[in-house]
Amino acid sequence: MAWMDALVLGGVFFVLLAVGVPVAFCIGLATTAAMLLSIEAGPAVTTVAQRMATGLDSFTLLAIPFFVLAGQLMNRGGIARRLIDLAKAAVGTLPGGLAVVNIFASMLFGAISGSAVAAATAVGGIMAPRMRDEGYDRDYAAAVNITSATTGLIIPPSNILIIYSLASGGVSIAALFLAGYVPGMVVGLLLMAVAGSMAVRRGYPVAARLPLRVALRTFVTALPSLLLLVVVIGGIVAGIFTATEAAAVAVLYAAVLAFLYREISARDLPGILRESAVTTAVVMLLIAASIAMSWMMAYVNLPQGVSAALLGMSDNPIVLLLVINAILLVVGTFMDMTPAVLIFTPIFLPVAAKIGIDPTHFGIIMVMNLCIGLCTPPVGSVLFVGVGVAQTTIARVIRPILPFFAAMIVALMIVTYVPALSLWLPGLFGY
Amino acid sequence: MERPGGVMRLKAAVDRLLGGVLAAFMGALVLDVLWQVFTRFVLRDPSSFTDELARYLLIWVALLGGAYTAGQRMHLAIDLLPSSLHGRRRHAVGALIESAVLLFAVAVMVVGGARLVGLTLLLGQTSAALRIPLGWVYTVLPLSGALIAFYSLVFLGEHLRGLRGDPTASVPEPAPGEGLAPAATEVA
Repeated sequence: MAWMDALVLGGVFFVLLAVGVPVAFCIGLATTAAMLLSIEAGPAVTTVAQRMATGLDSFTLLAIPFFVLAGQLMNRGGIARRLIDLAKAAVGTLPGGLAVVNIFASMLFGAISGSAVAAATAVGGIMAPRMRDEGYDRDYAAAVNITSATTGLIIPPSNILIIYSLASGGVSIAALFLAGYVPGMVVGLLLMAVAGSMAVRRGYPVAARLPLRVALRTFVTALPSLLLLVVVIGGIVAGIFTATEAAAVAVLYAAVLAFLYREISARDLPGILRESAVTTAVVMLLIAASIAMSWMMAYVNLPQGVSAALLGMSDNPIVLLLVINAILLVVGTFMDMTPAVLIFTPIFLPVAAKIGIDPTHFGIIMVMNLCIGLCTPPVGSVLFVGVGVAQTTIARVIRPILPFFAAMIVALMIVTYVPALSLWLPGLFGY
Repeated sequence: MERPGGVMRLKAAVDRLLGGVLAAFMGALVLDVLWQVFTRFVLRDPSSFTDELARYLLIWVALLGGAYTAGQRMHLAIDLLPSSLHGRRRHAVGALIESAVLLFAVAVMVVGGARLVGLTLLLGQTSAALRIPLGWVYTVLPLSGALIAFYSLVFLGEHLRGLRGDPTASVPEPAPGEGLAPAATEVA
C-alpha cells in the first residue's frame, strides 16, 4: 500500500505548506500522519521522536554548525571585504566590471565559507551599494549576486555535500569536495559570460587596471583568508582531519583572523554564538524531520516503487537523467535544499546507480540542480536574502534573473552529461 | 491589556534564558571538538569522550535551538497565504498555523519524546564513553516540545484576541531580509 502512504504523506505536506505552516513542521506532521496508517498512535509518535533524535546523533552533521559559525565570523571579521578587493584586482577590468567582480568574489567567499546565504549577505551587502554608485541597475545587480552566491554550495567546503554524503550512506566527503571544484567554476564562468554580455549591452563601466604594486598588496592582504581554504580542504583531502574537525579548525582560524583584524571583540562572541546556534537549529530541525520522513518512506518501500516506475519508463541513462533533473527542478522551487537532498537521495540514487552513474557525480548533479531552486520563488532562501540586501523586490528581480537561470541550467546539463568534469579531480587524488 | 503584557514579559524571559543556554552550548561544542583535534595531534592521546559529547550537545543545540527559533518565528515557511490576508482572516489562518505547530510539539515531541525517554531508561541503555543513561540525552525532546508548545500558545492567544476584534493583538512577523530566517534554510 505504498501509494496510499505516499498520497497521505504528500497530501498533508502540501496542504500544511500552502496554509503557511513552517516547513519542518509540515514534514513532521505529514510523516506522523502517514505512519498512523500502519502503526498505532503511541508507537507511531514514539518512532517519529526517536528517528528525529537518532537522526541528529551524527558526528558528520556537526560540521554544519561549525561552518555556519566560521561563516558568521568571516562575515563580521572583514574577510569578505578583503576577498572582494582581491576579486576586483583580478577581474575588475573584464567586461561586466563589478558584476564579474561580484561573481568571482562569491566563488571565493563560497570557497571558504561553504554557504550561499552567507555569500549573498556578505558579498551582496558590500557590492550592492558599490554597483549602485557606478550606475548599475539595482535589480540586475541583485540577480548577479543571488545566482552567483550558489556557486559556494558546489565549490567546497559545502554543507549540502556533507548532507548528501550522509543521505547517500557514505559517499566520501573528500571525493565530493574535490568533485565540486570544476562544476562550480563552470557555473561561475557561464554566469560571468551572461553578466558580461548584458553589461556591455547596457554600457556599464569597467574598472581601470590597477598598478601592479597595488594589485600585489590586495593579494597579500587576502592571503591569510585564502590560506584557510588550504588548511580546511587540504586537511580533509589529505585525510588529516574529518570534515567536522576541519570545520572546527576553520572556526578557530576565522576567529583569530577576525580578532587580529580588530573587527570583532570578545564582547561580540556570545551574540555570534547565539546567532549561529539559531541558524544551525533551523536547518537541524529540518534535517531531523526529513530523516524521519525518509525513514518512513523506506518503511513502506516507496523508493523501490519510484525506482521501478522510473526504470519501467526507460533504460536510457540520458532520458532518465533528464527526467530526474526535471523532477528535482520542480521539487527545488517549493522545497528547501536540505530536506530535498535528505528525502530524494534515497529515492533517486538507486536509480542512478542502476544506470551506471557514479554516486559522487550524482551528488554534484543533485546539488547543482537544487541550487537553481534556491533562487526561485516561492521557497528560495538565497533569493529572499539577495532581494533583501539589494533592497528590491522578488517581482522586480524575476526578469533580469531569467538569463542567469538559463546559464545555470546549461551548466547543469553540461555537468550532468560530462561526468569527467566532476570525476577527473577526485580521480587525480585517488578517490 | 494587563495579562498579555505579563505573558509577553514571560516570553521575553524565556527567550533570554534560552538564547544564553544556546550560546553556551555552541561555545562548548567548538571547544569540545578543538580539544579532540588537540589531543589527537598534539598530545597524541585521543580523548575518548569528545566525539560522544559533541554528538549529544548537537542534539541539544538543534532541538532547543528549534524551540528558540519557533519563539522568534524564524522557521522557514511559505507565507503567501497569511501575508495576502488582513484583519480577522489573517488571525484565523495564523491560529490554524499555530495549532498545527502545537499539535506536532505536543503529540510527537512531548508525548512521543517522553515515551522514548521512558523506554530508553527502562531498557537501561547507557552511552559507550560517558556512561550516562541515553534516556537523559533524549529528555531534550519533551523539553523542547514543551517550549515550542509554550510559544505556540502565546501566539495562538494573540491570534484569538485578534479574532475577537481586539486591535492590540500582535504576533511578531518573521522579519525578511534580516538574514537569519532564510539563512537557516540552506545550511548549505
